[in-house]
Amino acid sequence: MAQARTAPGRSAPGRAALTRSRLAAVAALAAILSLSLIAASLLGARGGGGGGVSPSVAVHGASQVERLLQGIPQEAGVLGEPAAPVTLVEYADLQCPFCAEWAVTTFPELVDRYVRAGLLRVELRGLAFIGPDSETALRTALAAGEQDRLWHVVELLYLNQGGENAGWVDDELLRGIARSVPGLDEERLLAEPGSEAVGARLAEAAAAAEAAGVTGTPWFELGPTGGDLRRLEVSSLGPGEFRAAIEALLAG
Amino acid sequence: MTDRGLRIVVGGLALAGAAIAGYLTHARLTGTTVTCATGGCETVQSSAYSEVLGLPVAVVGLAAYLALLGTALAANDLARLTGAALALVGVVFGAYLLAVQVVVLDAICQWCLASDAVMALLAAAAVGRLAPDRVAALLPRPLRTATRPAASR
Repeated sequence: MAQARTAPGRSAPGRAALTRSRLAAVAALAAILSLSLIAASLLGARGGGGGGVSPSVAVHGASQVERLLQGIPQEAGVLGEPAAPVTLVEYADLQCPFCAEWAVTTFPELVDRYVRAGLLRVELRGLAFIGPDSETALRTALAAGEQDRLWHVVELLYLNQGGENAGWVDDELLRGIARSVPGLDEERLLAEPGSEAVGARLAEAAAAAEAAGVTGTPWFELGPTGGDLRRLEVSSLGPGEFRAAIEALLAG
Repeated sequence: MTDRGLRIVVGGLALAGAAIAGYLTHARLTGTTVTCATGGCETVQSSAYSEVLGLPVAVVGLAAYLALLGTALAANDLARLTGAALALVGVVFGAYLLAVQVVVLDAICQWCLASDAVMALLAAAAVGRLAPDRVAALLPRPLRTATRPAASR
């Protein structure tokens, strides 16, 4: 640096010019690359790149559902520790408004209070009697179960539920849900609803519902894990009666 | 400051950036949840803006930091020019992603902010490598004399 200051007069402007031209070249290259990346990102987010429609933001309730279920084990249709002493079985149609009501009023409290503590496991037995949207929704949820994320998809479907058979379970919603659940493989989720494994689970739940005499949803069964599950009849879908029944089983 | 000094700064910052991007890449590829004090990391990581050209942004960032580390290992003009251009792209793209977080997603990811800060410092050092004399003139005197060759004292 000392040499630079005492260098002959003609080399200093030469060096400055070289520095300026270098900076200009670098700035131009950087500008072109950055703008290309930004354009690619915007096109990708709007679905222009792939031709498919994809929402630019996560679906409604994504972070709320992630907070609720974060860190809780899931396997296929079961949420909670396999060794939890009490099991709650829910028969539900994902288009049923009362099922959605239960999912937002009572389910989160049961998860926070009992499932997270390893005291309760909740099993979904999905039915699709309301119509075509029920079956699409259920098959997608069961496909998510193959990736152990069924409950994320179920909760997000309830939170984004539309009118019965209004065609609300469309590709855009399902892609939005797939992208909102961390760790869920979108392409696999959308490819699997027609798989044999999903068909088998669907049939299994329908058979169980018939055996249990289910006549409407939501329909609940509660009991000791691995033991005799009994129908839990409630007068309201609020958390009170569920808490009382679970506490009684835990105490006994 | 000498080119060697700036190379050390660029290398160190590139390692820090690679650690952040590596963590986000790992979380993305394994489906694990990112530790997040700001609460918006998952929203950001799972949004449609978390990918560019079919690649997770975290992977692109990791590649950029590793390339910057590569430019710090060489002392030639190509390395200096590539390093400066890459770091400037990083800063501009990082600023765009920050704008997306604030304006579109309404969710902030702390790891992205940390990466933005590292990239900004990195860009200053990488651009500085194009004109080390000017960088030296900006530094406080003790640092300047420390890098002056012994023979000129």
